[in-house]
Formats: sequence, C-alpha cells, structure tokens
Amino acid sequence: MAARRAPTVAVPVVETGSPPTRTGSAVGRPVLRRDGPAKVTGAARYTDDLAVPGAWHGVTVRSTEPHARLLGIDRDPAFDWSRVVVVTAADIPGENVVALMADDQPVLVSDEISHIAQPVALIAAPDRATAEAARAAISLRTEALPPVLDPLASERTIAAYEIVRGDVEAGLADADLIVEGTYRVGHQEHVYLEPQAMIAIPRPGGVEVHGSLQCPHYVHTALARALALEPESVVVVQEETGGGFGGKEEYPSGLAIHAALLALRVGRPVRMVYDRHEDIVATTKRHPAIITHRTGVTRAGDLVAQEIEVVMDAGAFTTLSPVVLSRGALHAGGPYRCRNVRIRARAMATNTQPSGAFRGFGAPQTEYAAEMQANRVADALGISPATLRRRWAYRQGDETPTGQVLATSVAAVDVLEMAVAASDFERACAGTVASAVREHAGARARGVGLALGWHGAGFTGSGESYLASVAGVELTAEGEIRVLAGSTEIGQGARTVFAQLAADALGVTVDEVAIAPADTSVVPNSGPTVASRSTMVVGGLVVRAALGLRREVEARTGRPFAEGYREDARTHGASRVDERFAGFPGITWDAERYRGDAYPCFSWSGAVAEVDVDLDTGEVHVVSVVQAVDGGRIVNPLLAAGQVEGGTLQAVGYATIEEMKVDGGRFVNDRLATYLVPTALDAPRIRALFVEEPFALVPHGAKGLGELPMDAPAAAVIAAIHDATGAWIHDLPATPERVLAAILEAERAAP
Amino acid sequence: MSGHAGVHAGGRVAGGAPATRLSVNGRPVEVRAPGGRRLLDVLRVDLGLTGTKEGCGEGECGACAVILDGRAVNACLVPLCQAAGREVLTVEGLAVDGRLDALQSAMLAAGGVQCGICTPGLLVTARAFLDARASGQPVTDAGIREAIAGNLCRCTGYVRVVDAIRLAADGRTSPMAAPAATRDGPGPGWVPVGGVDTTIAGATTDTAEGGAALDADPDAVSPSTLDDALALLAAGGLRPLAGGTDVLVERMARTATDAGYLDLSRLPDLRGIDLEDGALVLGAATTFGELRRSPLVADVAPVLATMAAHVGAAQVQERATIGGNIATASPAGDSLPVLLALDAAIVVLGPRGERTVPAASFFPAYRRTALAPDELIISVRVPRVDGRTAVFRKVARRRAQAISVVSIAVAWQVDEGRWHDVRVALGAVAPTPIRTRATERVLEGGTPGEALAGRAADALAGEIAPIDDVRSTAAYRRAVAGRILHRIVVDAARR
Ligand SMILES: Cc1cc2nc3c(=O)[nH]c(=O)nc-3n(C[C@H](O)[C@H](O)[C@H](O)COP(=O)(O)OP(=O)(O)OC[C@H]3O[C@@H](n4cnc5c(N)ncnc54)[C@H](O)[C@@H]3O)c2cc1C
Ligand code: FES
Ligand code: FES
Repeated sequence: MAARRAPTVAVPVVETGSPPTRTGSAVGRPVLRRDGPAKVTGAARYTDDLAVPGAWHGVTVRSTEPHARLLGIDRDPAFDWSRVVVVTAADIPGENVVALMADDQPVLVSDEISHIAQPVALIAAPDRATAEAARAAISLRTEALPPVLDPLASERTIAAYEIVRGDVEAGLADADLIVEGTYRVGHQEHVYLEPQAMIAIPRPGGVEVHGSLQCPHYVHTALARALALEPESVVVVQEETGGGFGGKEEYPSGLAIHAALLALRVGRPVRMVYDRHEDIVATTKRHPAIITHRTGVTRAGDLVAQEIEVVMDAGAFTTLSPVVLSRGALHAGGPYRCRNVRIRARAMATNTQPSGAFRGFGAPQTEYAAEMQANRVADALGISPATLRRRWAYRQGDETPTGQVLATSVAAVDVLEMAVAASDFERACAGTVASAVREHAGARARGVGLALGWHGAGFTGSGESYLASVAGVELTAEGEIRVLAGSTEIGQGARTVFAQLAADALGVTVDEVAIAPADTSVVPNSGPTVASRSTMVVGGLVVRAALGLRREVEARTGRPFAEGYREDARTHGASRVDERFAGFPGITWDAERYRGDAYPCFSWSGAVAEVDVDLDTGEVHVVSVVQAVDGGRIVNPLLAAGQVEGGTLQAVGYATIEEMKVDGGRFVNDRLATYLVPTALDAPRIRALFVEEPFALVPHGAKGLGELPMDAPAAAVIAAIHDATGAWIHDLPATPERVLAAILEAERAAP
Repeated sequence: MSGHAGVHAGGRVAGGAPATRLSVNGRPVEVRAPGGRRLLDVLRVDLGLTGTKEGCGEGECGACAVILDGRAVNACLVPLCQAAGREVLTVEGLAVDGRLDALQSAMLAAGGVQCGICTPGLLVTARAFLDARASGQPVTDAGIREAIAGNLCRCTGYVRVVDAIRLAADGRTSPMAAPAATRDGPGPGWVPVGGVDTTIAGATTDTAEGGAALDADPDAVSPSTLDDALALLAAGGLRPLAGGTDVLVERMARTATDAGYLDLSRLPDLRGIDLEDGALVLGAATTFGELRRSPLVADVAPVLATMAAHVGAAQVQERATIGGNIATASPAGDSLPVLLALDAAIVVLGPRGERTVPAASFFPAYRRTALAPDELIISVRVPRVDGRTAVFRKVARRRAQAISVVSIAVAWQVDEGRWHDVRVALGAVAPTPIRTRATERVLEGGTPGEALAGRAADALAGEIAPIDDVRSTAAYRRAVAGRILHRIVVDAARR
C-alpha cells in the first residue's frame, strides 16, 4: 500500500495573485483557474453569446400527452408557411434515433408519443418571433393511449441486476434485530445556470455544431447516425459551458441533431437556445427511486444481513439507465462490510420524461437509503451513529458484495474520523439527545446527523477498457505545448488540472501549457466527461503522454525538456504523443455474473450536518455541513474544495427543498419560481476536508472527486432532523409539509 | 466581436423605433428599439455586451444583473424605456484600463468561479452592495449572503463567493492586472460561416441573440404628468408598468401579451415617502428597497420594512413597487396582509377623480381589485397609531426569493396587559388576502398567553380556506397558519 500522507486540512484562501508556479511543483498547489480571467470580465463566450451571421432560429413542437398515437401534424392554413421551414420525422436522412446505449429514443416522434414534451417537429425562421408564431400555428392530431406513470406498475424492464453474497435469508434469521425501511426519492433537476444551447452550421458535405455540452464525441456519433454522414463530415465543438452536472451528458446529442436537421434544410446556420421553462420541461432529471431495505444486526451491533430492493423510474427511453442503475445497485449496501447481501435492482419504463445522468449517477439515491438504515439501526440499538460506523465501515482487505477485495486506498474510517472530529459530532450529538425532551416553548430545535459515502472511481466494470480513451500532448511547430483531450471544462477545472499534470510531467511551468479546444476535429476521444473520471483516468493518460513527449524531445536535444523544447520545435518540427487507456493491471470484472472488481478503486466521504428546525412550521435550515473526502491525491486543492462545496450544496438542496411534483406525466414545478434550489441564504456553512489516500495505478495518485460529495449529505441532513425533532423523515425532500407532519405525529404519540 | 456600443441600429428592430439614449459603462449609447424591449436584449444583442447572461428571464436567478443608477437590478425585468437617460454598469465595465477590480481579483483568488455563468451577475450585485455601504460599516457574512441571495450559483455552494466578497470588502485584494487570456478552449466568440450564403432576404440578426423565446417587443410610453398618464390609460391599449417584476414575468411566461406599456416610473406624484395628516403616505411607485431604507418607515411602521426585507431578494426589492404588489393582488402578495393589519387605505385616481379605498375592501376576489381599468394607484396611506405593535411572519420554501406559502400580519395595542384594536390578516390561505375578524374578536380584550393563543388558533382554522397548489398543501397551510399565530400570541406575552 502506498504510504499514507498527512491529511491536508482546509484550503487557505489565497489572498491575491497567482501562486508561484515553480517548475515541477504545480500538482498539489492551488493554481488559479485558467478560464477565470475571461469569466470575471465577461469575455468568456458561451454558446448563446456567439455571433453567427445569418443564423435562423429553431424551435421545437412538443407533445402534450404522456402516451398517444400521432395521427397527423396539422398546419393552420392562415399562417404563411413559406416564411419558415418545418422538419418532421420523415425528413431525417439517417436513422431516426438519438444513438446512445439502446437505440430506442427517436429524434422526432414518427408514430407513438411516449412522454410529455417529446419533440415531434422542428421549425426554423429568420427571427424568433416568426418561429414562435409558426409553432403556435401547428397542432398535433393524436389518439390517446393509456399511460404507465408508476414504475411499480410498469411491466417494461429497461435493466435489472442481482448481486448476491452469502445467504441473506440465513443472515436475517440469525439477526437479533431487523430494521426495515422504504425510501422514496424523486426527480432532481440539474439547474445548470446556462440552459441547453446549440448552433448548427452547414458545411460542404457535412455539418458543424457548437454547443453547451459535456461529451463532444457522444454528440458526434449521434449526429453521424441520424444525418447519415461520414464521421469526417461532422464536427462538434464545445463552447464555454455554464454547468452540466450530467444534464449535458446525453441530452445535447438530440438537440444537436435537431439544430443540424434544420440547418441542413435551411442551408444556413440555425441556433436553438432553450429558455429555462423549456429546459426544465424537456430535459432529463435524476432518476426517481423506491428503495426497500431489510437490515439484520446482532445485539452487539454487527451487520449480518442486507436485503435491498431498488426500483428506478427510467422514464420513456433507455438513455443511460442501465449504467445508472448498475452504479446505484453496486453502491446500495453503503460502505459497509456484510457477509450476507442480496441487492435486486431494476429500472422500469414509464411514460414520463426520460431520466438521465446527474452527478452521482444512481449512487446518491441508493446511498441515501443505506445511510438511513445505518442511522436507524444505531437509533434502534441506542448507540452512536459514529460508533456503529466504526464497527461496520470497510477496511483494507474487506470484500464487497460483488466479491471485490478492497486491496488498496480504503479510507472510510479516515474520512469518518476526520468529519467527526472537525464537527465535534459526538459532543454535539450528546447535547441534542439530552435535550430531546423539549419544552414546547422553544420554537426551534438544533440537531446533528452523520453519514458516510463511497463512490467507485471511473466507469463501472469494464467500461474504461471497452472505451479505450485516448489523450495526447503535442509540441507544435510553433513551439507551443498543447494538451489534446476530448474531456471538457464544465466548471470543474479540467483545463487547469490537465495543465498542471502536463506541466509537472514535462518539467515546465503551468503557463507554458495550452489546452486544445474541445473540438472533435482537433482532439482525440478521451471518453465522456462523466463518472468523476477526467482527473483520474484522462489525467493519467495526459501524464503518460507528457512523459513520452518529454523522453522523445530530450532524446533529440540531450537537454532537459524545459530548456530544449522550443529549439526542438524549430529544428525538428511538431511532435505529438498519444496514450490509449489499456486497463488497470489486476482489475477484472465479470459483467455476466456481476462479480469482481466493479471499480478500480473507491473514493470515500463522511459528512456531518447540523440543522435548525422550526417546530411551528417544519422549516429546516441546514446550518453547517462538514464533509471530509478522500479522492486520492489532490491535484489542485482550490478546485477540489470547490467541487466538494458545490456538490454538498446540491445534496443539501436534494434533501430539503428540491421537489419536482409530477402530475399525469407532467412536471409541475416547471420554472425557477417553483423548482427551488438553495440561495446563498439557504446554503449552510460548508467545510471541505481532505484525506489523501493515493491510488497507485495512476501516476498522479488521483481518484474521482466530482460526484462523491453528492452521496452522503442528504442522509446526514435527515439524521440531523431526527436528532432535532425525534421524527424520521423517509422520503426526500424533507419538505416543511413532511417535517411538520412528522412533528405533529411525534407530538400526538407523546402526550 | 461583431456587436459594438455606440450609435447602433439593433438588428431586428422595427423600422422607425424611437431612439433611446442611455449610458452604458460610462459611454453614451443610443438604441433604436421599442421601449418595451428588455434591457437584457439591448445589452446582449443590440450592443453586443454578452457578459450579462440569461439564466431564466424571470427575475429568479440574477445571471442578468446589472447596476442601474447605483442599484443592482435584473436586466431581464427592466424595459428599455426605464433605462433611458440612466447609467448602466455591466460586468464589462468593472475592469478599468485592463486592471481587474478588487472583486474580480478576489473571485479569482478565492476560487469563487467555476462554470462562470453566474459570475458576471454575482460580481455586479456584490459591487452594488459594497458601493452602497457607508464607509467603515462592517461587512458580515450574513450581510453578504443576503445581498447575493438573488444570484443563484449551482456550482460553488457559495462558500468561496462569500469569501471573495469579504476579501474585497476588507480591502485585502488589490486590483490585479487582468492576466493574459489563456490560449485554451473555445474559439474567438464568433463562428466563421464562409461558404454559406448569408444574404437571403429575411435574415436579420448578425449578433448574438437573447436566449429568451420572446415575441415582438412591446412599445412603451413614459408620461411625466399624471394628467398625461390618465389620458393615455383612458385611450386604452397600454398596460401600466411600475417595476415590471410581475408584468415582464407574465410576458416571459406568456400569460400576458401586452402590446404596449404605460411606464409609471417618470411620474413624480407616485414617488416619495412622507408624513401627512397623521398618516404615512407611500407613493405607489415606492420600491421595497426604499421601504427598507426609509427612516420614516422605521419610525412609524417598521413592520413594513420587515415585510419588504422578505420580498424576493435584492434585485427584485430594488424594482418591485408597493403599488404593483397591490394591483397584482396575488393572495400571496407580501405587502397585502400588512396593509390590512395596519388599516391602510389606497388612494386611486381616474377620470372621475380621486378615491380613497380601505385596504380591507380593495381585494374583492381572486386577483381582482377595486381599481377601475382607467384608474391608477397613486399612494398608500398608513395611519400613524402610537403604541401599536405590528408583526409580520412569512413562511416560504426558501429563505429568500420565494413566494409565501402562508404569511400573517398581526397588529395590536396593549392596555393594562390586555390586547385591543387587534387586526389579524393573512396571505395565501384564501383566494384573496384576508382579515380574520372572528379571530380578532377572540383576541380582542384578551391577555396574551397559551390559553388565548390556543383559542385564537382554533378560531383561525374556521376562517381560512387554503388550497393545494404547486407550492404547498391546504393541510399544511391550515396547520401552520394556526401555529404561527399561536407563536405570535405566546411571544407577545413575554415581551
Ligand atoms: C423573482 C421574483 C420574486 C418575487 N418575490 C415576491 C415576494 O417575495 N413577495 C411578493 O409579494 N411578490 C414577489 N414578487 C412579485 C412582484 O415583485 C411584486 O408583486 C411586486 O410588488 C410588483 O410590483 P412591480 O412594480 O414590479 O409591478 P409591475 O410588474 O410593474 O406591475 C404589476 C401590476 O400592477 C399594475 N400596476 C403597477 N403599478 C400600478 C399603479 N400605480 N396603478 C395601477 N396599476 C399598477 C400593472 O399594470 C400590473 O398589472 C416577486 C417577483 C419576482 C420576479
Ligand atoms: S435571467 Fe434570471 S434573473 Fe434575469
Ligand atoms: S459557477 Fe456555475 S453557476 Fe456559479
């Protein structure tokens, strides 16, 4: 095992200026974000900021029923249709599919409407007002079909898994205590602050799109399929992107096809920019889930059996549900050693908006349930939630339900202890338990809660090997060093991190390294910017490619790279080294039997939340969250802290105020005035702490970090509400309605 | 960049649109566009200043924040006519002579920027907050958080944004030279489209476009006398617009399609806060921000300032007016229960002269008022009552920028330990804001305490008729209305 380093605690605020970038010292330093200056001056260009001469405006005609047969698309004869262009499914030159895992999602409805807000037709016009007028002049002739809106009533399975270890029935039979629980979590909306936006430009024999997106090569593949174009004739360029969180992983593919269909039809550029309302009604959300647990424990508090059933609502199409479900299932037991486990998981189709990728990718849902169980078991046994976890948490050498032996980089107990110490959890906990017998005179009650999280780093199972990502580093003939990767900057800091890694490997300063634009005609496919994999997997390729380039140039010049590369470019010309991912040694996965190493390694988190509950109204204010994480070696502490803080707040929102009501397949909270995310006043004080337990199979020791902070805080918040009020909330979010109902019930129970 | 400030004809402007002059980042600008065009579109499309972003078009997110005459406002809710002759500062105007200002430097150094789409709005809002503060006045984290509560950021968790603003406030960052732009990432800000014929008739725009799906821009008229305003109103076809925080949202949501606006912002008679004949007189165009800052309000009816602090967030408070709140007559309008509890009266003026209508009879039905279509609200009169206590409590789903789920205002006087002249008014529990007179009778003459509180809460339950909607449930509203009234009465006993 790699030597344990002293944990780094808290990230100091840099007062001013850029820290020195000494050669060979960039990694581990709070190097300032490279895209920062353009972003603070307003110079950064996002898709809708781009001027495109002669562009028309595209809008989408959408279904208004959850399930129906499309009989016709009627145009109002009073409207002058010569002013606009209309595209329907019949006009699609290639296959009518948005290529992804299963090719079941049409670009445009041709026959069957499967959910509300499904794209049926597209309109382009020289200006937006005309396009809108044309949209209003179209009506859909349909024949209603019965919709399936409840995943438990659905008979169409999108994916299903079973993970078995030991004998769960025997384990439950042996248990002294069985704690049962059912937990429901709903849709969560991404609310990236920049809505979906795409501009398509016809090019001779092909098309070029510019957009707000996470995965240029997904879009590239999908465009080529739907438009029947050769891959060389399709170019995808990611522009500055105003947040993604998974919401710009698969969704932009369909939007790019829409814009491209119109652009090719009109013969001029077409821009499609959603307003917020359209963005909320038409795009993917986090998968709702219903998770049921039976947990068997001994009187002494040992975990002996976990029987878990996970049902996710996939919505109308497959999108990424099989892998979201898989990650959810693999994390469903929580970071706890257990001999007897059975996890059954299924994703069911319904006539609702397709669910999709969202930070955490299925794990926040199932880990919420697992942590609720852990806290309720501790409550039932009357022992501290921290003590219980010290007993349960994985340690090096333990085996997961898939039979993966956690051989290295296991820091569950470390993050637990760090979070507990930093928040003074045990003292705070003792204090509130003592005051649990409240007088009604007090209008507010304080409580603290704890949860642990774990997150498999990179793609699940054989995903990375199958993908075989490529990243490169080049020295241009002009003497510029450029990192070439299809991984995108979506605010997480990928550009800065890649530059740091390349700079150290080459022995140059960060400022000498440029990052090539995420343009499919320039950069290789380094896989999608998802699954917290950019720093660990792609970063590893960047380091290897940089080392390769360094060797090559140094061999030619006989001097250190930093001293010789400019001259080498002049005399020898351009050089480029690409690295292809070829699997981590010793990591094996059997996808058929769902056995083996589900992930090359795991990241770990421990969160302590403190809440203030208004006992009159059930309003919950999350006062503070301490979250300790282990994401392996930290490349940039400033950026890493930002990831943890931002993820923590998304989890706090998920736990408290983010609620998407669905009525007959329609999203009810369809504006920012009704789908609420936390403001600065709602946000707790957040402290991000780091344990750095390096991952030995990548040169820089980093594991995933982006999604992990989403996993633990929701359960910590609910535990804190319980600590404050004595009431257990099961379903998220803990709205004032639910909290007050629970308080009233507790009041009735205790006269 | 293809957009340019200066004398410029907006790409898709109707021919013959009037010229509007304003100052943008210290430079005079003339724009030919309908007066109802959003300032956001003027900046982004007509002037090519795309640093100001659009995240919602409905005043919710603050991505479009700019400084208008010293106050941070949301440019998506400002019609061009109201920016005429005024100073607009956008993110592009923060750095001077190639040097980042203290806030910009601090945001970089503290790590307050991630995806960056919220950053311009945050910087501008923070700038207005710091500039408005008297020198030497301390800046607290709570103060910073309140100031930026109207700026959503989905990436940072706000931690480092708050740090950055504190650093700048403490003078711990000095302006730094704008670091050279990196050579990374996206292209030059325009997309070359060589090979495509761009001369086809009908193609209009050659600059970036606003993201909002808007129909043609309405026209606007900005009268400067009440007589002109009433005449224009009587002529029909124009909708009064004060702060626009309801009108422009309705346009975006397509629940209203107004052909033209009657801009009330240039009518001196609608402005000002005064004491007249024993009453506090609030001009109809008084903003919630002005209510919060007025020493007179703090003296005569501080509950109005408390209420105002709970409306939306900073940018909305600087625009939203009390007259607009009354005219919209939403059952959840926050000023309305307070006006009912304070026995306020609403002064309206029309062709038939002036009328003074008690607030208690101003709201006859759901979103209806006693106002005739040819009348304007001129002012609100709040009687000064010495010795009166009034409290306001708002329950909402979020601590800022949220519409009330239940709101309550209670006013009373105390005589020898007993309550009298009790007024209890609620919002969002009935089709209109209501006074609950049976509950008032229970409280009248009573001694505050548990017993009285319990009886009052029971009486209240029989007087309200809440419903289920997108924000909450009838059952919750019913339970909470009683519990917060109970709390107010019990707390009063301990005063
Ligand atoms: C993000 C956001 C948050 C909000 N939060 C709150 C909140 O917390 N609480 C709350 O109560 N409201 C809230 N609102 C709603 C809105 O801000 C208020 O109703 C505000 O008081 C409206 O005032 P205005 O001046 O902006 O009205 P405008 O939009 O200009 O006008 C509103 C209506 O009043 C009419 N009108 C305006 N002035 C007059 C007049 N003098 N005479 C006759 N008719 C007139 C207009 O014709 C229009 O019908 C919020 C709005 C937004 C966008
Ligand atoms: S765009 Fe969101 S407030 Fe204006
Ligand atoms: S940095 Fe992305 S929304 Fe604030």
